[in-house]
Amino acid sequence: MTEFLSFATPGLPYGCVFALLGIGLVLTYQTSGVFNLAFGAQAYASALVFYECVAHGWPKPAAFVVSVVVLAPVLGLLMDRGLYRFVRTKPVLVKLVAALGMLIAIPAVFEIVFPAGNLYSPPSLFLSPSVVYFHIVGDPINGIELSTVVLTLLVVLLLSVMFHFTQIGLRMRAMAESPRMVELAGVDADSVGMASWMLSSLLAGLAGVMLAPVFGDLQALNFTTLLVAAIAAAAAGSLSSLPYTFLGGLLLGIVGELLSGYLPSGQVLSSGLRPGLPFVVLLLLLLFLPGLRRRWTKVNDPLAGVDPPPAPLVSASRDRSLRRRSRIGAGALVALFVVSSLTWVSPSWVFNLSQALALAIIFLSLVLLTGMSGQISLCQATFAGVGAFTAGQLAAHFNVSVLAGIVVAAVVAGAIGALVALPALRLGGLALALATLAFGLLADNIGFQYSWSGNGQSGISIPRPSLGPINFSDGRAYFCLIVVILAICILVVSAIRRGTTGRQLAALRGSELAAASIGINPTRAKVLVFSVSAAIAGVGGAVYGSLELGASANDFNTLLSLVFVVVVATVGVYTVDGAVGAGLAYVVLNVALSGNLTLRWSNLLEVIFGLGAVVYALHPEGAVEYVKRLTLERFTRRGIETEVLA
Amino acid sequence: MSGLLEVAGVSKRFGGVSALNDVSLEVAEAEAVGLIGPNGAGKTTLFDCVSGVTVPDRGDVFFGGRRLGRAPIYKRARLGMGRTFQRLELFAGLTVREHLEVSERERRADGRLWKDLLGRGGIRLEESERVDETLKELGLESVAGSPIEALSLGQGRLVELGRALIREPSLLLLDEPSSGLDSRETAALASVLNELRARRPISVLLVEHDLELVHAVAERVVVLDFGRVVSSGPLAAVLQEPAVQEAYLGATL
Repeated sequence: MTEFLSFATPGLPYGCVFALLGIGLVLTYQTSGVFNLAFGAQAYASALVFYECVAHGWPKPAAFVVSVVVLAPVLGLLMDRGLYRFVRTKPVLVKLVAALGMLIAIPAVFEIVFPAGNLYSPPSLFLSPSVVYFHIVGDPINGIELSTVVLTLLVVLLLSVMFHFTQIGLRMRAMAESPRMVELAGVDADSVGMASWMLSSLLAGLAGVMLAPVFGDLQALNFTTLLVAAIAAAAAGSLSSLPYTFLGGLLLGIVGELLSGYLPSGQVLSSGLRPGLPFVVLLLLLLFLPGLRRRWTKVNDPLAGVDPPPAPLVSASRDRSLRRRSRIGAGALVALFVVSSLTWVSPSWVFNLSQALALAIIFLSLVLLTGMSGQISLCQATFAGVGAFTAGQLAAHFNVSVLAGIVVAAVVAGAIGALVALPALRLGGLALALATLAFGLLADNIGFQYSWSGNGQSGISIPRPSLGPINFSDGRAYFCLIVVILAICILVVSAIRRGTTGRQLAALRGSELAAASIGINPTRAKVLVFSVSAAIAGVGGAVYGSLELGASANDFNTLLSLVFVVVVATVGVYTVDGAVGAGLAYVVLNVALSGNLTLRWSNLLEVIFGLGAVVYALHPEGAVEYVKRLTLERFTRRGIETEVLA
Repeated sequence: MSGLLEVAGVSKRFGGVSALNDVSLEVAEAEAVGLIGPNGAGKTTLFDCVSGVTVPDRGDVFFGGRRLGRAPIYKRARLGMGRTFQRLELFAGLTVREHLEVSERERRADGRLWKDLLGRGGIRLEESERVDETLKELGLESVAGSPIEALSLGQGRLVELGRALIREPSLLLLDEPSSGLDSRETAALASVLNELRARRPISVLLVEHDLELVHAVAERVVVLDFGRVVSSGPLAAVLQEPAVQEAYLGATL
């Protein structure tokens, strides 16, 4: 018993950390309907500014005022005015992408402003981390632990009171249900939304500054990892109950410490299980907590029907002659692109373009999943990794040709995709996103660490394919192969779009209930498309890994999955050219920026794509489709003018 | 006479509220039954139990002699149930034509992924013909190419009806089809339904407040109040019963 308690006690402050962040998530979800994945990034921003101020010799209270009392609400205000007020009445997907964009952009912006590099031992706010205040069953309780517990309790209490006994709390809760209803009731929804974002941002800042000393150094990644534990805690509270969130966080912290106390050390499973625990818990909660399902499927704003329908795709609005001309134009463009890559383009750029097209295959999987089926996956990079490692391991151990390996990679990734989707899909939008996030992080921490899969950071080698006499180790030859594989994947996606499955998906997007009432099996259609999407990502991963001649767990980490979603959403998630454009934009920007910028500005790419999410919130059709629409409008106008003149 | 649809002793509670209490009813082949009762009587809950949106706590639903148990909505649809919704459930972003095309493909049940991949998933000629036919039956030809959002509520109800009918259901569940329609549109709906039933044998279970529509369509009504069947029989006779009058007008009268 004493042993049990002495293992469990150190989990208490960890649990409070999880709980505090989880409460922040519940707060934003309850007040704005946005599942704020950027909460950790906001916390990091305040922690970073606090660190910098203290490092420059400011007194701690002044640093606290600047970083938490001033900066955090201002950040919340900026995000609300610049982004979230536009997505308030939008679907879950748009809100999620907006939050993802912030998750990527905020740390990047702050690291450009404060280019300090490694920041070790962050300062603590009030109680000293090195002073032990008292012992519980032999465990020393230091200042950080004590202050975390006290602060968390205080926040739970204050927020519960605010939610249940004040006017503003009631209005904030109503906002999450339907901002438009709130406005009809005579409340200024805009200012309530603004207030709730400032409040939650303040909480994020406070949490960030408090929690920073828990880690040895200050990195954005620490906060992102913490976020999953926070999500698990929030899930335990069904995204609504502050006390249950608190309890969930606490239990998670304690169980984590117990596991590390009792499990044998030194194996991948036990070293991975403790950091992996929040993900496992989150997955289990998502699957087995029935209350969650009710809460998360009830996302319909009763006034959603007043929105005008989204404009149809540009390709559907072209008349016949314009369609023929645009097809000829596109064909010529592709031919020009391929021919120039084979002739005058330098080998290093052929490599870059190959990268772009390999990524385009992975991005295509998102066009199928998100654009056509309205689902969101935050683990496409993981599926790509599964594909790459499958092809590599088959080549290394069984001497399987890489081309055959790519096919097997598609099958394996597709099967794993189906396994992930089958239980999670019944939950719908947000829950699927979180389940895939948890799955991706689990693969990062455990799945890809084994030598038979990704072999951790050292990675595995993946040879170039060969076909009879043709060896694709030459850059230009492999480029051609990638073009062919991409073309096949594009054909697959457009065939699905035009076929029965595509129409079923369109129906399901419109109304799941009505689709079921005419005999469509929603689960089957969605699992099918999720699996095909994972398979395409697997192909893309294998092609990419073979291009790079190897891959490690790090090349396919979950942070990359998040970037992928944001990039594709920004450039265009509804059409296949959106995926190709996204691949090109990603690589070209990357090369252009990393070649010409100092280390300080290397984060600019993330800022650009993060801010791309803002554009996405305003124009969900994406950049490619937007440009096409402008061109179409110009052509049509010219056509009308000619007609009038004639 | 064995019923096509049999509801046998169905009960359903939501928390402390008993929405349905031991309700039994039957719809025979080619029979149209109206389900009436005041708001909150349990009509929609019964509908949901029949179509598979919820599962009853006790009792069973039989369809064509088969016990439905926990069968999901789409399986019931494949067995031959078609339904419309009180609050329109249309496929946002699709045209009227596409609504019918999706449903027609489901009737044929030959949409496989591999067929899509071989480029054989497009609309076939015979499907297109049946869609044209249904559009004509319902008088929707002029709006066939319109996006669903451009339609009036009345037209939307017709699209829902067409989407259900093109599957050739043996039982049609209509959930307050006249709500939101004016009297002219309601009359038009009644004549569409009657023409249809004259052409092929189809059973109808109709939840409706508008007694004129019920009178025009249904041969028999079942009256629900507080989750119990109060009465059943021809509409005119049922309306004379004191229990029914009490349910509608209150005990004080």
